[in-house]
Amino acid sequence: MSLIEVNGVSKTFRVSRRSAGIPGMLANLINPKYEKKQAVNDITFSIEEGEMVGFIGPNGAGKSTTIKMLSGILYPDTGSVRVNGYVPYKQRKSYVGSIGVVFGQKSQLQWDLPVIDSFELLKAIYRVPEDVYQENLKRFTDMLDMSGFLNQPVRQLSLGQRMRADIVAALLHSPKIVFFDEPTIGVDVVGKETIRNFLCELNEKDGVTMLFTTHDMQDIEKTCKRLIIIDQGAKVYDGLLSGIRSAYGTTRQLDVEFSADCTVAPIEHVEIREQDAPGGRKKRFLFESKEVPIDALISSLLANYTIRDLTVSEPEIEGLIRKIYSGEVAR
Amino acid sequence: MKKLGPYLAFTKKSFLGRSAYRFDHFMGIFDTILRIFIFWEIYRALYGGRSEVDGITLTMVTTNFILAMGLDAAFFVDDYYLPSRIQSGSIATELLLPVSVHGRMLADNLGNALFQLIFHFVPAVTVSVHVIGIAAPTGPLVLLLFLLSALLGYGVLWTISFAAQMFSFWLINIWSIVTIKNSLIKVLSGSMIPLWFMPDWMQGVIRFTPFSSIFFLPVQIYLGQLSLAEILRSFLIQLFWIAVLFLIGMLLWKKGQKKLVVQGG
Repeated sequence: MSLIEVNGVSKTFRVSRRSAGIPGMLANLINPKYEKKQAVNDITFSIEEGEMVGFIGPNGAGKSTTIKMLSGILYPDTGSVRVNGYVPYKQRKSYVGSIGVVFGQKSQLQWDLPVIDSFELLKAIYRVPEDVYQENLKRFTDMLDMSGFLNQPVRQLSLGQRMRADIVAALLHSPKIVFFDEPTIGVDVVGKETIRNFLCELNEKDGVTMLFTTHDMQDIEKTCKRLIIIDQGAKVYDGLLSGIRSAYGTTRQLDVEFSADCTVAPIEHVEIREQDAPGGRKKRFLFESKEVPIDALISSLLANYTIRDLTVSEPEIEGLIRKIYSGEVAR
Repeated sequence: MKKLGPYLAFTKKSFLGRSAYRFDHFMGIFDTILRIFIFWEIYRALYGGRSEVDGITLTMVTTNFILAMGLDAAFFVDDYYLPSRIQSGSIATELLLPVSVHGRMLADNLGNALFQLIFHFVPAVTVSVHVIGIAAPTGPLVLLLFLLSALLGYGVLWTISFAAQMFSFWLINIWSIVTIKNSLIKVLSGSMIPLWFMPDWMQGVIRFTPFSSIFFLPVQIYLGQLSLAEILRSFLIQLFWIAVLFLIGMLLWKKGQKKLVVQGG
């Protein structure tokens, strides 16, 4: 039995459909039309204790809806969710005490009050013992470098500061499972790096199980081993991050700088692109790794030409994900 | 007590938060006093020097609206607690807390109500009693029963709002429902026009609604118009409405939660 089990879950929303302008408004007033939007369509996955899983997909793919079903906020239409022995939406009150959730776009903090006051309130709500609270507070605020703005009202914080405060707010009661919905949205490069390191440490040292959504592939590459990709409500990939390359990114790229201008005779299954003028020194070779063994290609080039420099690169994950979203690669 | 901890924290927070808008608060007290005085003038003119009409003395009438309007100011209910959270989508973070939403709603409202009771009801009623005068309670027991009845009256008022707010799961914006509800309460609770002046058939109808048990029953107890048996019966009526309205609210809550659409993100 896994810690998190999602089984054949679907969720539809009824969305109002009206045409623009005054005629549309009048038509909507008299005869409103609705259509069903399938936000999540038959999703199944499970997550083991201590895993850190990236959950990605284009806008509107159903990520947030899934997270909300996992956190007990929304009811699925069909299918079942089980987390840590609870059915989240049925046992919400007792369940949510054992998890932490961060919504990048919605703050849990009290707008008018200093950050520390919100923390104190959460301490009372979750009934966190004083010593645990003090320990967590000190540790997390040190790690996220927050001591400078603990006493400032939330409304005066920058987005990056607010996000860090929200992350700490979700962790004060030492949850063993945490869901993050876009925890780095709108945060600058340094802030993102701080947040990523923090999440990694929490996962490695405390064994906190995490699922998080993001649109920033760097977040995923730097933190997660496993990746779940959904699109239009359905799961399209579930596996290791490195597996993405073997599944979709088999194209390799070899950049060669020759010692002198030259032309290279065509090689079977290899596309040769001139990087300088045609017949110049720099060339790029593109090929499928299963069709052309890379060592054979390099040794044949070395045997026939003098080479100053060469680099082999794998395709970037981000580029592959883009291709998956846009449907360029078969799912 | 331990279970109540989180809720007490909400009550404390809203009690303290209430003091943030000082000017607004003083104007609120002034508004209540002003309304009491306007009604006093109107009823004095209506009575035209007579001391009683149909067996209802002017003192009874002024006692009614001083107490009812005072209580109205203290009976804080946030009709838009749930609607505003559904509308903004912050219902999501609300549901993440390990507390019941209705419990939190009540705790939050009680903090406000307590503040209003101490810093609005007391000064407004004190001023009104000094200037206009009020019938004295017939004894300490009557005063105690009045306070108990008023507390239950708040329960009725709160559960009406609680049940009404649940419609926001389906309608998102429930301004019209809230407005109609509050108009009904204004007219049918007897805070503006004492229910004694209503025609008999109307009093009969009102008796079958929860509205008269908000302000009018406590006032009747205060004026010593009800026998002990009638007082006990009035408590049962109030408890009946609290239970029925709360159950309706909870039923709608359970259904609504499945309908919930979290707006934005």
